Amino acid sequence: MTEPTQLHLLRPGQKATITRIGGNTALRRRFAEMGIVRGETILIERHAPLGDPVEYFIKGYHLALRKEEAAQIEVLLLGVDHHG
Amino acid sequence: MTVASREIFRLDYGGKLERQIASLMAAFEEIQFDTGRYPKRWLAIKLLEADPDILARVQAMPNGEQVIARAQQGAEHIKSMLGDEVDLITADHRYGFINGVVRQSLHRPLIDRITLTDRIDNIVTHKWLGLPVFFAVMYIIFRLVIDVSSPFLDWTDALITGPISRWLSALLNLMLAPSWLRSLLVDGIVAGVGGVLVFVPGLLILYFFLALLEDSGYMSRAAFVMDRFMRVVGLHGKSFIPMILGFGCAVPAVYATRTIASRRDRILTALLVPLMSCSARLPVYVVFGLAFFGSRAGTVIWAMYALGIVVAMLAGMVFTRTILKPDVSSAFVLELPPYRQPALKSVLIHMWENTREFIRKAGTTILAASVIMWILLNLPWGVTNQRDSYFGKVSGAISPIFAPLGFGNWETGGALVSGFMAKEIVVSTMSQIYVGGANAQVTEPTTVTEDLVGIGKGFVDAVVQSAKIAADIIPGVHLVDENAASEDTALSTELRDHFTPLSAASLLVFVLLYVPCVATLGAIKQEFGSSWAVTSAVYQTVVAWIAAFVVYQGGHLLGLG
Repeated sequence: MTEPTQLHLLRPGQKATITRIGGNTALRRRFAEMGIVRGETILIERHAPLGDPVEYFIKGYHLALRKEEAAQIEVLLLGVDHHG
Repeated sequence: MTVASREIFRLDYGGKLERQIASLMAAFEEIQFDTGRYPKRWLAIKLLEADPDILARVQAMPNGEQVIARAQQGAEHIKSMLGDEVDLITADHRYGFINGVVRQSLHRPLIDRITLTDRIDNIVTHKWLGLPVFFAVMYIIFRLVIDVSSPFLDWTDALITGPISRWLSALLNLMLAPSWLRSLLVDGIVAGVGGVLVFVPGLLILYFFLALLEDSGYMSRAAFVMDRFMRVVGLHGKSFIPMILGFGCAVPAVYATRTIASRRDRILTALLVPLMSCSARLPVYVVFGLAFFGSRAGTVIWAMYALGIVVAMLAGMVFTRTILKPDVSSAFVLELPPYRQPALKSVLIHMWENTREFIRKAGTTILAASVIMWILLNLPWGVTNQRDSYFGKVSGAISPIFAPLGFGNWETGGALVSGFMAKEIVVSTMSQIYVGGANAQVTEPTTVTEDLVGIGKGFVDAVVQSAKIAADIIPGVHLVDENAASEDTALSTELRDHFTPLSAASLLVFVLLYVPCVATLGAIKQEFGSSWAVTSAVYQTVVAWIAAFVVYQGGHLLGLG
């Protein structure tokens, strides 16, 4: 088993399970509204041309988060998804 | 996780939370709190979640305070036991339930398909191609909004200033209306209506493209690509589109902020948009640039555009740290939806509704301002000299404010006051005052009032000029065409008698930055209320004064004046 890490540290193509969500209540509520909750699997899609924000794939839809906000999400790496 | 039919569905939030819900529901009875139209269990959950909207409503109900106090105790108890806020626990349970239902009922193909959306995104959000694609899209829209709308704009303008004004005059003559009434209706009100309508063609086209961008799904990609860049100024990626449009005209740009979700971001964008040098300001730069800077006019003009951007960045940083601090609604959580073909009907509805709202709301402000301007120019009734009208008196009274900036005469004061109607009028007013006498066949007050009719005409000129800016984006095309450069008009000779290159530069800086035109303020007032319109007017005027002061006095110290 790998160590838990922060979402913004992962690279495109990596897949992870959300283990913990930090940040203030309002941000966590916003995350929950968007389906970012513990146990969910999240795939890192791509970085924006200027490096930030980052596009993710979760719950069957695409979502962009700034690194600053993604840093509040603690994940467990699942390994690389090779489809593309 | 099966739900028997006919049974009322109730999601189980787990023993500890369920106990708190039950105890809060019991507390409703105990305190004799009437939940009114809200179901008891639902209200108890919302109170434990500390939903701000529900808290505010319950606060206003009888015994509401006591109930809230109980709910807070309950929520704290849960937090101490489970280590999480109630709303996160409930979200977990809800998503858990949803996942269960989905697992039982939906089969997804094991291999992810590469969709059309993925293929488009591989290009438009590509590491190297993303930014060029974005700028190309912006460039095309900018050109289309400005260029395509201009023939329609000419037409609208010709209609108002030509036939409609003539017909109204003739009709009023027939009715033996007094001359002041004729002047008010034709030069004040019709001119004002014209001033509103000239914006309509451009707005219709702008809204068409904005609706297209939004409905197709590209808008969120644009925000994704530009976000890092805009964050420097404390803004969201979506703010970039209004900023670009601001180079054409600030009015549609202020309306374009509607695509931004957070109110704080919208307000900040609208406050910065008027600093993008709009096409109406270009005639002022061109006239002064050619009169004072000759072959270096192009550089001076580009310096104005650059200065506008720099001041906007600084202002953005200051606002972000003072009256417009980022709130949670500004957090960048952006969905990138699949691309869809926009429905024509929805695009057209969007286009029409937004334009109609502009005519109704901002139109009223513009109309009122042109009537006030008419009154100032024509009272006391029978003035033959602009200087003796209230307009001249107001201009004279405020002109000392501009003395430290290098242009403390009433003529410049008057030009700046009339520039509040539309910035290109600064030039036409100056030419009225300085060169106006040469135009012998028309008497002074008519000439001046015609100037107001010229709001529309000036805008057309401005649009033509803005096409030149667009053309100049292509390297190698010159901003100021050769004919204009060789033209040394009566006005530029007069201007050289009244200004030095230094005071001219100071005036250009002031015109770039000072109070947004009345149409822009009308749009800001409509979108965000009077206080933001006032904020916009005051901060820009103060910034303009300081910047022009620095240019003029700094220039003096350096021995340039």
